[in-house]
Amino acid sequence: MEAGFDREWRIDELLDAATLGRTMDALTALAGGELAVLGADGGALWGRAGEDMARRPLVLELEPVGQLAGRGVAAERLAGAAALLQQLMRVQVRYKMASSLHLEAVAEDYESLRREHLKLQESEARYKQLSAQLEVRVKAQVALLEERQQMLYEAEKLASVGQLAAGVAHEVNNPLGFLRSNLSTFRHYLTQFAELKKRLAEGDAAWQALDLDFVLTDGEELLDECIKGGDRIARIIGELKSFSHVDHSTEEYYDLNECLRHAANVIDGQLPAGVELRLELLPLPGLVCLPGHLNQVFLNLMRNAGQAIADARRPGVVRVSSEADDDWITIRIHDDGVGMTPEQRSKAFEPFYTTRPVGSGAGLGLSSARNIVLAHSGRIELDSRPDAGTTVSLFFPVPRK
Amino acid sequence: MPDSEAGRLSFKLVYYGPAQSGKTTNLLRLHDQLAPEMIGEIMTLETQDDRTLFFDLLPLGFRAPSGLLIKFRLFTVPGQVAHDGTRKAVLSRADGVVFVADSARTQETNNAESFQTLAANCSRVGLDFEHLPLVVQFNKQDLPDAVPEQEIRDRWSAAPWPLHFASALHGVGVRETFADLLRATWRCHAESCELASKHGLDEAGFVAGALGGG
Ligand SMILES: Nc1nc2c(ncn2[C@@H]2O[C@H](COP(=O)(O)OP(=O)(O)O)[C@@H](O)[C@H]2O)c(=O)[nH]1
Ligand SMILES: [Mg+2]
Repeated sequence: MEAGFDREWRIDELLDAATLGRTMDALTALAGGELAVLGADGGALWGRAGEDMARRPLVLELEPVGQLAGRGVAAERLAGAAALLQQLMRVQVRYKMASSLHLEAVAEDYESLRREHLKLQESEARYKQLSAQLEVRVKAQVALLEERQQMLYEAEKLASVGQLAAGVAHEVNNPLGFLRSNLSTFRHYLTQFAELKKRLAEGDAAWQALDLDFVLTDGEELLDECIKGGDRIARIIGELKSFSHVDHSTEEYYDLNECLRHAANVIDGQLPAGVELRLELLPLPGLVCLPGHLNQVFLNLMRNAGQAIADARRPGVVRVSSEADDDWITIRIHDDGVGMTPEQRSKAFEPFYTTRPVGSGAGLGLSSARNIVLAHSGRIELDSRPDAGTTVSLFFPVPRK
Repeated sequence: MPDSEAGRLSFKLVYYGPAQSGKTTNLLRLHDQLAPEMIGEIMTLETQDDRTLFFDLLPLGFRAPSGLLIKFRLFTVPGQVAHDGTRKAVLSRADGVVFVADSARTQETNNAESFQTLAANCSRVGLDFEHLPLVVQFNKQDLPDAVPEQEIRDRWSAAPWPLHFASALHGVGVRETFADLLRATWRCHAESCELASKHGLDEAGFVAGALGGG
């Protein structure tokens, strides 16, 4: 172990040769005789010691650490010289102790700082670890949320597919019903013509008796209705196809006006009586998007608009407009139908919210519409007043060149 | 461990405590009141405003019947918080400690903080605080706002260390505190230093030698 500041200092540490040289020359001159400084072991540190010399102890704390020897020096002068030397040693020891204590203290302070530093490093490491854990947890939470969102979306889609299926079934059933009844009536008409064949001999009387004038015109009407029914079923199937695009969703560079026209074509024949669809489309810049998804959004918004007019029990117009400036593509779907109460409006974006019964073909709700628009970095706004109508506005950012 | 070399056994005893509690005054009074065979000058390293910057040192000693020089070096530590490194260095290698507390009520937190640093610093400099010879002195009992002895005794009743009540400025209780530290020191080191067996020093002889005047 290194010797501390508080060790017992030796005389030769306190009085080095240079100090002794300077001091002793002066002391010798003062004493007026020969002087020698001896260490604790009696060896000379300065001058030459002789047996015959008088000696004075040099005391630092309690015991002599050396001696001052003199020859031809008066006793009180020797005592005075020893006192002076002792004084010098004490000054030296104070200086030595203070400076080595200072070094120890600095080392100790350094040691403390190092410990503090270590502690800081540890806590920094802990903090880092914590924040890493936190990040992992946040990521997990986000993933969970996204998964839930996706599940919700899927569930909603399923529900809307169910709605669609129910709607399609209903819409197909209806023409199928009269197709079947018309055809069976027509079949009965044919038996009447078979009857005529048996009674051809009766001539015109048989024609009259079998009321074949009526059968002929009615049969024509029945078949016309059947053809119309077939067309209607074909249209419904066509609409189903547009939904089948939704799932192979790849992004394409697309003109939203195309989507709007497509949706309008699909919806046109299906709008309730008294609803007119008007497109007011201005040229749009292309947008990288999922056209299948957007088709679905537009289709549903148009269908909702038409339904809102039907609900108002008066003729009306669904106005679909598009325009663009440097920043935004804006699409509005406006109807002058029933509108929404503030309460309905506030719930409109909630998942699964609908005011309509299953099978009415409501399609995806506004909540899904918004999700799809958000996925395109766009936003959706709803403006509606009861009895005045509803405007749904969609905004898509124009890609920067 | 006391420092032993060539016919000399040296004990380092440290007066520890908050700034201005009276550590230096304890040493000054001991210098006046003790009369051992040998006693040196007080060496003070202090700044001009009279606050101990480094330490004070009072050496004293006596010869055991065996001829061994028993030496005591009494140190004070600087009380100011800024000197923690110095305090630790002075505390290093201590064979016994007097904790000098200031009895003034206003100084209670200072005392407590200082006592905590004593415990902490002991472990830093490798002293076993549990077994360190330690005496606690409540100084400045003469002050009008001094916490009364009974209150302090109640509060410290669970502590294992001897308590002393002093007025160092007036020389009261200083000797008794030191005597108690000598006893604790003897008990701690007698065996390893063969004080009784080899050097003919029992506890009473050890204390009497250091106090002197007996
Ligand atoms: N009233 C009173 N003052 C004291 C007592 N002991 C010391 N003092 C004073 O307290 C101040 C600090 O004393 P000092 O011994 O230098 O304290 P240290 O910093 O612990 O060394 C000085 O002004 C002393 O005179 C005491 O017992 N009573
Ligand atoms: Mg002091």
